Amino acid sequence: MWELVAILIKIGIVVGISQGAVAYLILVERKIAAWAQDRVGPNRCGPFALLQPLADGAKMLLKEDVIPRYVTKPLYILAPMIAIIAAMIGFAVVPFGPVGPGSPSLFDTTVEFQIAPNVDIGILYVLAIGSLGVYGVILAGWSSNNKYSFLGGLRSSAQIISYEIPLGMSILGMVLISGSLDLNTIINWQDNNVWGIVVQPVGFLIFLISAFAETNRLPFDLPESEQELVGGFHTEYSAMKFGMFFLGEYLHVITVSYLTVVLFLGGWDIPFVLDQTQVGWFIALVKVGVMLAKVSLMIVFIMWVRWTLPRFRYDTLMDLAWKSLIPLALVNLLATAGVVQLWRQSWN
Amino acid sequence: MYTFEIVRAIAVIVLGATGTWLLLPHRHGRVKPAASNLAGAALSLIALILLATLWRAPSNLLNGVFFYAFGIAALAGGVLTVTSRNPIYSALWFAAVVLATSGLFLLSGAQFLAAGTIIVYAGAIIVTFLFVIMLAQREGRATYDRMARSPGRATLTCFLLFWTLLYALISVRSPHSDAAAEGDMQVRLVRASQILQSKQMVPTKGNASVVVRALSPTNKLPEAEPHASALGQHVAGLGGALYTDHLITVELAGSLLFVALIGALMLATPKPPVRPGSSSQPPV
Repeated sequence: MWELVAILIKIGIVVGISQGAVAYLILVERKIAAWAQDRVGPNRCGPFALLQPLADGAKMLLKEDVIPRYVTKPLYILAPMIAIIAAMIGFAVVPFGPVGPGSPSLFDTTVEFQIAPNVDIGILYVLAIGSLGVYGVILAGWSSNNKYSFLGGLRSSAQIISYEIPLGMSILGMVLISGSLDLNTIINWQDNNVWGIVVQPVGFLIFLISAFAETNRLPFDLPESEQELVGGFHTEYSAMKFGMFFLGEYLHVITVSYLTVVLFLGGWDIPFVLDQTQVGWFIALVKVGVMLAKVSLMIVFIMWVRWTLPRFRYDTLMDLAWKSLIPLALVNLLATAGVVQLWRQSWN
Repeated sequence: MYTFEIVRAIAVIVLGATGTWLLLPHRHGRVKPAASNLAGAALSLIALILLATLWRAPSNLLNGVFFYAFGIAALAGGVLTVTSRNPIYSALWFAAVVLATSGLFLLSGAQFLAAGTIIVYAGAIIVTFLFVIMLAQREGRATYDRMARSPGRATLTCFLLFWTLLYALISVRSPHSDAAAEGDMQVRLVRASQILQSKQMVPTKGNASVVVRALSPTNKLPEAEPHASALGQHVAGLGGALYTDHLITVELAGSLLFVALIGALMLATPKPPVRPGSSSQPPV
């Protein structure tokens, strides 16, 4: 019974923090954009525009919610829900800090920094949920009954399906090396040995590129490219329905950053400073903080790239996935498998 | 008791088959009289109610609730997949069926299968279906969408299969509705090692290989309880089972896919048109 309550509390905290973080990420993005373009950016609402997210949120909620008469109503309403739900439930298996033996306890209950600890197929679950997110985009595009939206939806479905393949294969190298699909085991392996980026540099690169494509971020934001498609799949959406797509996109960015940190940047690990044998509340909170710092750096990197690279043309986008990334990921996977097999044979 | 259940099962099959046959669209896509649709709906409803009387309450409440939620969702989604007029909705209901089935997999402790099903079917195949449907069928419906292909034979085959299933279920479950005995029976149906135990089979010269295979450690996948000591065994166990016990099957499936790929390439390659006076022979 108390376990259930603890899980509900944990879900509440994670949902609350991530939603709040999204609001401020939008501010950060606008500030970084301004900085990159030599502008001032938002500076009117409170000190350093810190109240800007509140104003934006209120605007989203209070605006008139327009549902055009020509849309397919059930799907038009369903699409933003799918977008945000698919982005939210991916967090269930993401570790936010140390998990496993030695976790700190509160009122005789062990506190694990993960909503569903020790899910055996952690990374597969994230991929499965991520692959459902495409429904939000493609249904929004179709149900809007608008050529621009429809083209955006079609582009997006092709793009996301294509980039799912290199994304999955780039992760497999790390899975082979650490011998588990469980995200905590992968972090612990990196703590015992070296960070994933050292043993899987090519995998890291492929993962990063595919993750940009999966989150529809520039330079892969073809589904909503303003110059060609007005607003892409969300042209017909207004008020909070548009806000839900927006939220979903930023939640995806957070999830992807967490995954990158967990898989390739050592999770909560700092070499020679933090390791699994240190336990207790203080250490646990430090580890959560370290992980958060790494994730923030990753998010800033994603926003920085937005103002550095121009958008792809559609055929070059597809060429990149099918002619470069997938063969590269296959070669990387084969090489990793071979090396892992040889290593195990010679050491055991 | 037993004969009564059999009689009820036969009634379910006969009424259900007649009702479904009456409900199916016309063979040539013509409009059927409303009276036949009504009669079909009534007969199917009676069959469903009779089927419900064969139902017994689950032993484990929480698991049972989720099982019936996912099961009913899957069945309802399946019915809506076939009956939806708009192919887009059909595809979406199919996705719902896949999700509900994954839920059922999760309940039986097959996490890998659940995630794999979602990734492959809901995430890739159905999205591709949607892609094609959205591009291909922008307006109107063709006649072939409104007609049933040999409805009589289809109904007969389906309900014969359903009868086999129902009969097997009724004859297997214990006549006294005892939850423990029923659980025992299910276990015995699932686990090869326990079948051996209950049949008192000892390895002899004739069945030695069968017995050894049933007792091999990689064949005990269903026994990995979700909260027992078997945490972390699912994926490794699945891999072990696939690449030791079922190696030939995996390789065969792989070769089959490869052959299908080559076949698809052969079909898709555009052939140069045969012009009069050219030396090549037209295909026979």
